[in-house]
Amino acid sequence: MVSVINTVDTSHEDMIHDAQMDYYGTRLATCSSDRSVKIFDVRNGGQILIADLRGHEGPVWQVAWAHPMYGNILASCSYDRKVIIWREENGTWEKSHEHAGHDSSVNSVCWAPHDYGLILACGSSDGAISLLMYTGEGQWEVKKINNAHTIGCNAVSWAPAVVPGSLIDQPSGQKPNYIKRFASGGCDNLIKLWKEEEDGQWKEEQKLEAHSDWVRDVAWAPSIGLPTSTIASCSQDGRVFIWTCDDASGNTWSPKLLHKFNDVVWHVSWSITANILAVSGGDNKVTLWKESVDGQWVCISDVNKGQGSVSASVTEGQQNEQ
Amino acid sequence: MKLKEVDRTAMQAWSPAQNHPIYLATGTSAQQLDATFSTNASLEIFELDLSDPSLDMKSCATFSSSHRYHKLIWGPYKMDSKGDVSGVLIAGGENGNIILYDPSKIIAGDKEVVIAQNDKHTGPVRALDVNIFQTNLVASGANESEIYIWDLNNFATPMTPGAKTQPPEDISCIAWNRQVQHILASASPSGRATVWDLRKNEPIIKVSDHSNRMHCSGLAWHPDIATQMVLASEDDRLPVIQMWDLRFASSPLRVLENHARGILAIAWSMADPELLLSCGKDAKILCSNPNTGEVLYELPTNTQWCFDIQWCPRNPAVLSAASFDGRISVYSIMGGSTDGLRQKQVDKLSSSFGNLDPFGTGQPLPPLQIPQQTAQHSIVLPLKKPPKWIRRPVGASFSFGGKLVTFENVRMPSHQGAEQQQQQHHVFISQVVTEKEFLSRSDQLQQAVQSQGFINYCQKKIDASQTEFEKNVWSFLKVNFEDDSRGKYLELLGYRKEDLGKKIALALNKVDGADVHIKEEKEESEFLPSSGGTFNISVSGDIDGLITQALLTGNFESAVDLCLHDNRMADAIILAIAGGQELLARTQKKYFAKSQSKITRLITAVVMKNWKEIVESCDLKNWREALAAVLTYAKPDEFSALCDLLGTRLENEGDSPLQTQACLCYICAGNVEKLVACWTKAQDGSHPLSLQDLIEKVVILRKAVQLTQAMDTSTVGVLLAAKMSQYANLLAAQGSIAAALAFLPDNTNQPNIVQLRDRLCRAQGEPVAGHESPKIPYEKQQLPKGRPGPVGHHQMPRVQTQQYYPHGENPPPPGFIMHGNVNPNAAGQLPTSPGHMHTQVPPYPQPQRPQNGWNDPPALNRVPKKKKMPENFMPPVPITSPIMNPLGDPQSQMLQQQPSPPIPLSSQSSFPQPHLSGGQPFHGIQQPLGQTGMPPSFSKPNIEGAPGAPIGNTFQHVQSLPTKKITKKPIPDEHLILKTTFEDLIQRCLSSATDPQTKRKLDDASKRLEFLYDKLREQTLSPTITSGLHSIARSIETRNYSEGLTMHTHIVSTSNFSETSAFMPVLKVVLTQANKLGV
Repeated sequence: MVSVINTVDTSHEDMIHDAQMDYYGTRLATCSSDRSVKIFDVRNGGQILIADLRGHEGPVWQVAWAHPMYGNILASCSYDRKVIIWREENGTWEKSHEHAGHDSSVNSVCWAPHDYGLILACGSSDGAISLLMYTGEGQWEVKKINNAHTIGCNAVSWAPAVVPGSLIDQPSGQKPNYIKRFASGGCDNLIKLWKEEEDGQWKEEQKLEAHSDWVRDVAWAPSIGLPTSTIASCSQDGRVFIWTCDDASGNTWSPKLLHKFNDVVWHVSWSITANILAVSGGDNKVTLWKESVDGQWVCISDVNKGQGSVSASVTEGQQNEQ
Repeated sequence: MKLKEVDRTAMQAWSPAQNHPIYLATGTSAQQLDATFSTNASLEIFELDLSDPSLDMKSCATFSSSHRYHKLIWGPYKMDSKGDVSGVLIAGGENGNIILYDPSKIIAGDKEVVIAQNDKHTGPVRALDVNIFQTNLVASGANESEIYIWDLNNFATPMTPGAKTQPPEDISCIAWNRQVQHILASASPSGRATVWDLRKNEPIIKVSDHSNRMHCSGLAWHPDIATQMVLASEDDRLPVIQMWDLRFASSPLRVLENHARGILAIAWSMADPELLLSCGKDAKILCSNPNTGEVLYELPTNTQWCFDIQWCPRNPAVLSAASFDGRISVYSIMGGSTDGLRQKQVDKLSSSFGNLDPFGTGQPLPPLQIPQQTAQHSIVLPLKKPPKWIRRPVGASFSFGGKLVTFENVRMPSHQGAEQQQQQHHVFISQVVTEKEFLSRSDQLQQAVQSQGFINYCQKKIDASQTEFEKNVWSFLKVNFEDDSRGKYLELLGYRKEDLGKKIALALNKVDGADVHIKEEKEESEFLPSSGGTFNISVSGDIDGLITQALLTGNFESAVDLCLHDNRMADAIILAIAGGQELLARTQKKYFAKSQSKITRLITAVVMKNWKEIVESCDLKNWREALAAVLTYAKPDEFSALCDLLGTRLENEGDSPLQTQACLCYICAGNVEKLVACWTKAQDGSHPLSLQDLIEKVVILRKAVQLTQAMDTSTVGVLLAAKMSQYANLLAAQGSIAAALAFLPDNTNQPNIVQLRDRLCRAQGEPVAGHESPKIPYEKQQLPKGRPGPVGHHQMPRVQTQQYYPHGENPPPPGFIMHGNVNPNAAGQLPTSPGHMHTQVPPYPQPQRPQNGWNDPPALNRVPKKKKMPENFMPPVPITSPIMNPLGDPQSQMLQQQPSPPIPLSSQSSFPQPHLSGGQPFHGIQQPLGQTGMPPSFSKPNIEGAPGAPIGNTFQHVQSLPTKKITKKPIPDEHLILKTTFEDLIQRCLSSATDPQTKRKLDDASKRLEFLYDKLREQTLSPTITSGLHSIARSIETRNYSEGLTMHTHIVSTSNFSETSAFMPVLKVVLTQANKLGV
């Protein structure tokens, strides 16, 4: 069952492009072509406008909440080629940092797993991906991957934090030796996986090729303790692929077509438990998908204006028979 | 920014939108010559490979043509979605010819690539367009006002849209309407445009501004609005683009005057109607919004004119322009830097210098860094307004708690930017619930836990079980909450005592004769010594004689050896009994060594109490039997370990049915962690319902363990914690935040659980009363604005900051320790504080935290009253007296405060205090627990069955402690009757009881009732209990024991467990015995 528990009238004056809840699901950040970013307190079904953030000079495409261990921090990216990091201090939201290192629209921002520190990946239509790392002292260090995707990067998504080997092996008090990875999708129809080398440089690790048109979004599934890595990707070509990788080295990825829609698919989002994928397509169509026991992806719900029924999934029935 | 370039002077056509990969076809342009004055012509196909950063385009095929072209288009005719047939290339030639090429054949390198051609036109064919609704329809225009409509299915005979316009003029452009399929427009350099209706077969309107200065070089229909079109003028005196609406055809709607000289070509983006490309003799390529006239973008070009410009149908940000300097360039309108290009130059430079490793450092030189300043110059800004195709109109994102945030923007035909309709910009927050069954089952489980209705719950589960195994598991779990659990376990394993009794009786009846015979023999043997008077003591040299001699000299050992040697087993054993325990034990061993009967090993184990042996070495097919044996015989302290051991063996067996049976063993053992491990191995735990299956069992088992062992089981193992947090995560993902909090294990420092708790608490909207203040389980990282501050992302704060429940805060109740642990308090207190003995039963140590999650450690008052002690367990008659002393536990040695003889005799055997090693033995209750001021604890079901000597020994040992010397308060007069009645009853029973077993029980009971008397002295019993006890006493007076038992049950079920647990079970034993004996 998909039922609306809160309808937030954002009062945006133009198209909304993104709406994200914070870590706890108590605050909502929205952004719009009206160049503003808004933050609402939506606890208990309410909607209290906390902040109306102005600073961008173009449509704002995406917002991303940082992990609360760093405080209340929101990143936004815009067609104005800028990334702004907003921060709440003593109840007021203010611009904390502005990143103007891109030559074209910045289409996607994504915070790295909090374990790595405060790191933001930004994908831009100039084809580059930049990584902002907070180094303390109010300073941000920028690393840039040029020509990541010709004509543009549309989406970035971090892999969940996974430590090679066991945590027990780590010397206590020392930073675990994480392998940092993220995925990006772009107008070259490719999904690329990037890995941080030991020298701190980012290197293209994989090129995933299956889409025949722009990759609109990629979403690395949250880790649920299984050795398999999963990425969902969606494209202008209407296709949604689920990519999985079972081997430890992370080199063999195989795509599975979730569905081919008749229209562009804009956005894919995993549930926290990584078992449901929300797919947002053209025609304002939102569908929810779930993998059945036999590995097929099944549409379990059509969501219209936040409402929808959930078809009794095939998986449950089969489970009962066991 | 420029993406690619090809050095050709050519007309160009992009492959249709359906086609992947993207191709660009070029056909040598008519009317132009390159510097070589070559008149050769060719048709080429290039692939647009954006993953290749170089400027070169990959040429896929070249076809040498005899024609040069005025126009080239690529239609999707007969193209399927797989792109197997790559449409059709349609070329307009110089001499009135139209040629159809098969691009797939060109790519394949075929020689025969022409599908058809027709030279019906007069003069050069400059205008071609494919109908987007019926892709088999192609319109063409040439000189003399000639317009033909070609059906590619029947190419030979073209149609006309109507009578030729007069005066005859060259047709420079032709275009099908984008909304209405039978509308066609044509235009000519004279400046007039004609709109044709093919249904009427005539021109329906002529569009002209009468200026006569419009020289139409371009014509394009509005992609969305059927009645709008633009015309571009080539005339330098009027370098304009006119936007017309046919509804108001007297004058143009808008005139775009952005070019300084005549416009050579226009292209309207199909992906965004606000983007119109135009190129002119001012050498500019502009992108303007025809709806507003605003120039959005100016492409950086060289100074050459472009004569043809095309949007890429598939990639909306890509366009191509053909210029008179003999080059086709592919651009992106999204801006971006040309760093890549320069990078290539740098690479070339570097490679010229051999950058591989000029200094032999083992590393190639780092790439040259381009100074930022120069980069500044290379930046090409994107369109002023974002193109439609990057404006995400819809989105659905999950957030914590199974919430889905969605928004949508109803697509408006936004033809007029200013006219944009006021929309409601709403964001919906929805709750997604996908696992209804999971939730309802979780709910049932929670209810069962809250209402303590475990037996009902288990029974329902048994009834609903679909597999035998499932049924077994639930039956085993249920037994935990019932009386005589060991007996019931046995029944579940197929060993019903009554049945067995019947079977034995049956077997005995069969050999009735033999029985009689034995009796006779007995009588005979009784007769012999009495009647014989004298008998001959032979000391001859034969075996008999030697035995005799040995006996006479008291050398039992030799006598036994002789008997054994002579295979006189019975004699040997009987002699060994006389010879003392040690000898008996040795003799038994020897006997077993010699005896080879099938059941010898079982007998061995029973006699030697070596259950480990059975469990370790039995055939796993006989796991039931092994478990039955353990259930029957094992001492409480060993019981869990043995069950575990058996479970482990089963689990390690490759056989999956046996693996699952291991779960039963773990249930008997009360080993939650292992149950989790085993279950996880056997079942696919990824599905919520299978996790639910597991959690149900685990929760119930934990409850059982809590009830029976009175252990603080809230100490959660790693695996269990992982499963429970996974479960909580699933519940949270279904929006059941409160339930998730309830199931989340308390009292653990595991980071993921602490974090989840924090997240759940905050997600609920406000801190949950009673729980730890939901401080963020992370060290706050400061991100100062302006003022610097440390972030220190290297010091992962989780470890240090997760001390939610420091050890001191919630210590396990003293004395209740986990396996393998030793409680120093118990050891230290014992000798010094005997005064506590029997004086009080302190309340169960309460956890310091408020109890609002049922996962909290159990408070005693919540323990169901149903839990009763086994009252009628009849242990098997001991086989021999000596006990194989279990592993010496130093703790137990200390507790006893007695020197233990190295080989204890039967009556004082140093039976270890079993409670120290986990299972709380019932019979040990009086002694160490009382002394250390600990509450009586009820053992888990495993306690009852230990047969044989341990019980008696323990109590004798208890007796020997100097505990009774303490002066006690007198029992209040009104309650004295209870003591006298009960003691009197025990005496009556004792006098009529015959077997030592019963007597021992009664002795034991009489001692244990001291607990009751102590409570009476202290007057700590609640009035309901005392009045109930008086009722029992009255029924004893009237010898109505069954009424007494009913009363007993009533008390137990209504009273506080901790109040009555010390004496009520034993009272029941007494009543039952009295009833049985009929005293």
